[in-house]
Amino acid sequence: MKKDLKLSDIPKHNVFQVPDDYFDRLPMRVMARTAAVEREEVTWQTSFWQRLRLALPALALLLLFAGIYVLHVPAQPEEQATNLTTVSDAQIVEYLSTYATVESSDFAELSSLQGQELTAEFMNISPASAAEELEYYRLDEIDY
Amino acid sequence: MRGCAVRQAQPLFVTKGTTKLLLIISATVEDKELLEKFAHPESRNLAYNQLVRKYQQKVYWHIRKMVIDHDDADDLTQEVFIKIWKNLENFRQDSQLYTWIYRIATNECLSFLSSKKRKFFLPINDITAELMEKVEASPDIAGDEVQLKLQKAILRLPDKQRLVFNMKYFDEMKYEEMSAILGTSVGALKASYHLAVKKIEEFLKQD
Repeated sequence: MKKDLKLSDIPKHNVFQVPDDYFDRLPMRVMARTAAVEREEVTWQTSFWQRLRLALPALALLLLFAGIYVLHVPAQPEEQATNLTTVSDAQIVEYLSTYATVESSDFAELSSLQGQELTAEFMNISPASAAEELEYYRLDEIDY
Repeated sequence: MRGCAVRQAQPLFVTKGTTKLLLIISATVEDKELLEKFAHPESRNLAYNQLVRKYQQKVYWHIRKMVIDHDDADDLTQEVFIKIWKNLENFRQDSQLYTWIYRIATNECLSFLSSKKRKFFLPINDITAELMEKVEASPDIAGDEVQLKLQKAILRLPDKQRLVFNMKYFDEMKYEEMSAILGTSVGALKASYHLAVKKIEEFLKQD
């Protein structure tokens, strides 16, 4: 073979061959295959719609349950916190004085507040009642 | 299915003697006329048959030069025409029909070759070696020593460059046509072709 062979030296020639009458038969084969693909698609579409029709009642029922659940979902914790802010301090103090149990640790905490003024509103007690209470209890006898 | 129009391609049964006549008629039918016929349900199958006859050789040879094997080329050619059947209704005529058909054929070829590489976990060289072996051993490939060496040199090019080379060298397409099909600029195609020629000539010089 020539060492300095150029592309232009080589005659253009189709080296590939096809079976006899290949191009005479190809259109028929293409048409037959296209028809088969179309039939498959029609069958698939038909069976899809049939399956969808069967699945629709179950799907509707599922959506109904989901809707009911969403409507009755319990209130979020954030909402509860928000609601608490709407309650006045006086109502909170009243609630605590009625239901909360006072423990000695609470008194200990109270001692850390010495020197700070507790408002009358917070104490929820008149100066006269406070004096009465102080007279009744001898504070130096209480252990805490 | 109720309420839904179904179109099916029906094989047109013709005798062997009439096929050559149909081929000649189909080759002369204008693309515009084919598209007009295809748009009407009553003439759709006839138009499609004429389209297949008109473009079958161009599509087949375009694919064959890329995949080498006749059976692969045959299968891909049929796939291309099935895609044409499915999508011709939506063909917007922004481009020419033959450009659109070539583009489908090109995409089929490239995805076939890349899927083959993925499927067998083979590096590019092994696929090239497999195709070269086919060039040497296949009874469907006939040519002298130089012709076969040229085919092997072409196979050493990357797929897209091989495509560009085949379209320019064998199909003698204009760069503008190739640009419309491949979606690449004319300048890039020219550069790719000249590089391909250089690589091929380098290979031809080797023993």
